Amino acid sequence: MSQPEFRYLNRAQGRTEDFRLLTGQGRYLDDIVIPGALHACFVRSPHAHARILSIDVAAAQAAPGVRAVVTGADLAQWTTSLRMAPPIEGVVPVEVETLPRDVVRFQGDPVACVIATDRYLAEDAAEQVLVDYEPLEPVTDMWRALEPGAAQVDPMVARNLVSHQQAVHGEPSQHMQDAYRIVEASFSQQRQTQLPIETRGCAAQWDAGRNHMTLHIGIQVPHALRSQLAVRLKLDESQVSVISPDVGGSFGQKIALYREELVVAALARQLKTPVRWREDRLENLMAAAHSREDFCRTRAAVDEHGVLQALELEMREDFGAYCFFPANYLARVVAMVLSGPYRLQHYAYDVKIVLTNKCGNAPMRAPMSITSWVMDGTLDAIARELQLDPVEVRRRNMLLPADLPYTTATGEVIEDVTPSETFEAVVAAVDYRDFRARQSAARANGRYLGLGFCTVVEPTTYGSRFYKAAGIIGSGHEAAWIRIEPSGVVNASVGLGPSGQGYETPMAAAVAEGLGVAPSRVRILLGHTDIAPYGMGSRGARSGTAGGGALYLCAQKAARKVLAIAAHWLDAADDDVRMIDAVIEQRKQGSDDWQASGLILADIARRAYLDPTALPDGYTPGLEFHLTYDPPAMTYSNASHACEVELDPGTGTLRIARYVIAEDCGTLLNPVVVEGQQHGAIAMGLSGALFEHVNYDESGQNLSGSLADYLIATSTELPKLEIIPMHTPNRRTAAGIKGMAEGGVMGALGSLTNAVNDALMPFGAVIDSHPITPMRVRELLRGIDTN
Amino acid sequence: MKPAAFDYHRPGSLADALSLLESFADDAKVIAGGQSLGPMMNMRLAQPQHLIDLNGLTELAGIRETADALVIGAMTRHHDVATSAIVRAACPLLADAVATVGHYAIRQRGTLGGSLVHADPAAQIPLAAVTLGATVEIAGARGTREAQAADFIESVMTTDLAAHEMVTAVRFPKSGVAQGHGFEIMTRRHGDFAIVACAVAIELDGDIIRALRIGLGGVSDKPVLLEQLAAQFCGEARHADLAQRIGAAAAAAIDPEDSAEISSTFRREVALVLTRRAVEQALGRAGH
Amino acid sequence: MDKNNLLLKINGATYEVRCEARKLLSDAIREDCGLTGTHVGCEHGVCGACTVLLDGRPARACLTYAAQADVMEITTIEAIAQGEQLSPLQQAMHECHGLQCGFCTPGIVMTFEAYLRECPDPTEAQVRDVLSGNLCRCTGYQNIVRAILLAAARIREGGSHVAA
Repeated sequence: MSQPEFRYLNRAQGRTEDFRLLTGQGRYLDDIVIPGALHACFVRSPHAHARILSIDVAAAQAAPGVRAVVTGADLAQWTTSLRMAPPIEGVVPVEVETLPRDVVRFQGDPVACVIATDRYLAEDAAEQVLVDYEPLEPVTDMWRALEPGAAQVDPMVARNLVSHQQAVHGEPSQHMQDAYRIVEASFSQQRQTQLPIETRGCAAQWDAGRNHMTLHIGIQVPHALRSQLAVRLKLDESQVSVISPDVGGSFGQKIALYREELVVAALARQLKTPVRWREDRLENLMAAAHSREDFCRTRAAVDEHGVLQALELEMREDFGAYCFFPANYLARVVAMVLSGPYRLQHYAYDVKIVLTNKCGNAPMRAPMSITSWVMDGTLDAIARELQLDPVEVRRRNMLLPADLPYTTATGEVIEDVTPSETFEAVVAAVDYRDFRARQSAARANGRYLGLGFCTVVEPTTYGSRFYKAAGIIGSGHEAAWIRIEPSGVVNASVGLGPSGQGYETPMAAAVAEGLGVAPSRVRILLGHTDIAPYGMGSRGARSGTAGGGALYLCAQKAARKVLAIAAHWLDAADDDVRMIDAVIEQRKQGSDDWQASGLILADIARRAYLDPTALPDGYTPGLEFHLTYDPPAMTYSNASHACEVELDPGTGTLRIARYVIAEDCGTLLNPVVVEGQQHGAIAMGLSGALFEHVNYDESGQNLSGSLADYLIATSTELPKLEIIPMHTPNRRTAAGIKGMAEGGVMGALGSLTNAVNDALMPFGAVIDSHPITPMRVRELLRGIDTN
Repeated sequence: MKPAAFDYHRPGSLADALSLLESFADDAKVIAGGQSLGPMMNMRLAQPQHLIDLNGLTELAGIRETADALVIGAMTRHHDVATSAIVRAACPLLADAVATVGHYAIRQRGTLGGSLVHADPAAQIPLAAVTLGATVEIAGARGTREAQAADFIESVMTTDLAAHEMVTAVRFPKSGVAQGHGFEIMTRRHGDFAIVACAVAIELDGDIIRALRIGLGGVSDKPVLLEQLAAQFCGEARHADLAQRIGAAAAAAIDPEDSAEISSTFRREVALVLTRRAVEQALGRAGH
Repeated sequence: MDKNNLLLKINGATYEVRCEARKLLSDAIREDCGLTGTHVGCEHGVCGACTVLLDGRPARACLTYAAQADVMEITTIEAIAQGEQLSPLQQAMHECHGLQCGFCTPGIVMTFEAYLRECPDPTEAQVRDVLSGNLCRCTGYQNIVRAILLAAARIREGGSHVAA
């Protein structure tokens, strides 16, 4: 399918954010000057699980510069608890106090807050808060957590099982019985954390004269946060404004109202003085939000050709101690989309989400990250077991164009995706036969090369119908407004929450394309709840499809009124006028010869605002438009990844020799931004597979307490990525946008691991857990003769 | 993560610095590059009452060449050591080792003396100093003294410096023309602290090993100089599996501890491979 | 808690700062001098976001005390552009999409403004080596590397500041 001809979409545009960010004139949270603001510092539990016997704040209160020291008891008077009770079968409701009063549940759990004139003094005073704890037995393992006798993390959650969802589709048991072979495989992903380079923080101002709270905070979901904050502070929603400034990354971490921000806001109101908070990096690692730490086991029934007959998935996730986010969210998606690009009708899953005494989870870029590794890894396991070529096995199972639209076992409709095309593209790009020859020759010389594939079908944008079907409260729509000012420039807004993706330019392009003006004439306003329309914010990869889509459609709506006014002015038929780069063009009826009409957008705008009686009948003054857009229940994009590695068996070290990806994400709002997102997602996936690990010991102590312990990939560890663009539009979404931003993580986890396992073939060893460290590789190889 | 309060002193001369150390002793810490001490203080793992800033002591920075040694001032920055033509010519093992310390920006501030006194068991400069038989020049208000690097470094992050003393310079023997060197390091990522590091200096007489110095970092509580092993291989001729045999012998000669993430077996395995590679490097360079 | 008076020389201007000895240079630059282009990412010298130039050499501002810095010439990101004109490196970063959220960007620009003066013709491997001291979570580094190599080439050809 060919791409529609766009003037601004699918074209590279330099980012308008760059000038301010490159020159140090960005405006991040801490750059905002608030005279007289006090600084907060939290006192945190050193224990993973303990009863709070007493908190003595006297010495801290008397310390230099201190204005207040508060605990859970104080906060209980000023705020409500969080009740997280999504009406989803299999999910247990939980309630979270603003600050714990009785029991702390993880190392780093905040128990008190010091407010002082600067952070240095606040930290000094925090050391003087005396907390008497009675340590309790912690549970730090999601297997032991479900065993009888394990410590209970949350009094409302029996057996630490906060969510248990099961489903059977088709007849998997029957097919297991009849199978030629059953192949088992397991996949274990370690605990990680989002690690934005800018940590969490906020600044709260209470206007006592107006009874109004303003919270400055980097947040992916400004309106949702505002709604939440108002409830927690017992204010009306109109008494709260949330303003998100430039944000230094989020990746899913800055997506909930955490306790620290709530405390800061409550204190600003109580003290009638602005209060600000900057989380330091140690706090961010220990107590912001964690993610991943999931385990999947598959049992695949196959025929003698390696064609899948049925699949059973057992999945478990360690969610930590607190739910600031619905606990079943990610697992629901993994289980739902697991089959991805492959044919599967008989499928059963069992997903358990478990609480432990660790920092609670939030989504992290690609919360369903494990999905494609599991699916493609299962196919590789099938290939190994049946001694078939892994590329052949994929071909035999992959959805072909003739199969589409394809309804999966779970009822998902997959259409307008191109997995077999992207797969063949990377197979060709890496010259598969040549690789096998090189691999053979290398082995003869004692060198071990490996090649791994992974094809991703990425769910990017969830429409409201998806949430309804899943029983999740929430909408998938997005809202936009566009105002053409009297001078002809355009202001526009959409309810997204950017955190560095560079929305301003592609969103301006969406408006420009729909309306008929140059993007440079469009200003995009984001992140301020008083200005932006009520939207669902940024998460997953919805911003392009839902946000860009809403703006594009709203711009088309604006264009229709502009052109109707122009046609009336020119006494022409509606069909015979158009606007390009704000110039109204006209053609003689019946001809195709467009000429400048003498009118420009500014003329239309001035008439609409200042001379409305000249408007055509039925048209109201002004040029201000609002639109909401609910995308299809689900939109997918797809990509195939191929990764070549060399393994040094002597030390267990890996080198990524080559990384190729063929991708299809439909219409691109801005190809430059899309490419950057792809780089970033793949980088995060490779970093996770190789280096990252939030490592708790058995007593619940977080051993990865600093950036010297929690490792992320640097420029020397990451390969140069070769991207093959293969974009085909989606026929149902606005402008054919599919979205992307997370699939890169999924593909990286899978292709890298599969490559390592390909390199390990001569040793008969298989890696099934992350991170893939030299130590782990050596452990696998130890004792196996490498000659 | 803000440091605890301290009194700040910036002496303008070595004598002033020593006088401050004499007065404040255990209540004081000196700060050189700050690349190791800074993080510890920001995390409040170190909370000295007095901080003595050595950055005004320009007389302690610099590389001086004598007939048989390189005298490197304690305040010489890693970057200057790593890029110095003098060091490259006279002590290339040191240049190679220092070039791998941290990252470019870290090396602009970090100092030779600072790294040596920090005494991380896997660090490059302590390893190079021990392997090359460097001499540490120490000063206090009560006088000066010298110590061999291998004696100076006592254990993890521990040296024999008294509270009133500081290192002023480190003397490295110059490598002979017939010497070859090798340096290998294994890190999780580029620029990280070493898991294991190996430094080798070989002198050949034709094809015969005349002198051999092998040091390993990260396998004990301080850098290990494998003297017995070296003696064992002296007099041997260069041959195909010499490097492998030396590597195997090195792995057998050490007794690393198990740590949470890294087993002693792993360190041994890596030590074998790194030693083999370092010896191969050194053999390749020796005699040229 | 005693405060001292300092004169910090930043970007050719002199700032009067009154602060405790323990105040980090990163905080003093941002709060006392109002130069917020230097960012704080970790306060233990790993991420590189706070990198400034001290006497022309890259240094982590979070590992330096303001009290130490009054004898140095400090250069921050605000000095790099000339009005609306970006330096060759800044311009290349823009053209190559070498930044997304921008939080790590000033630290990278400062590091390489200095590095490219010392090493005007680096290989890609050398660039990645020096860049490894700056953590970026958004870009995967690829476009940053491309930008630095492009800037180096242009500077060698006599390139200078250009209008943004």
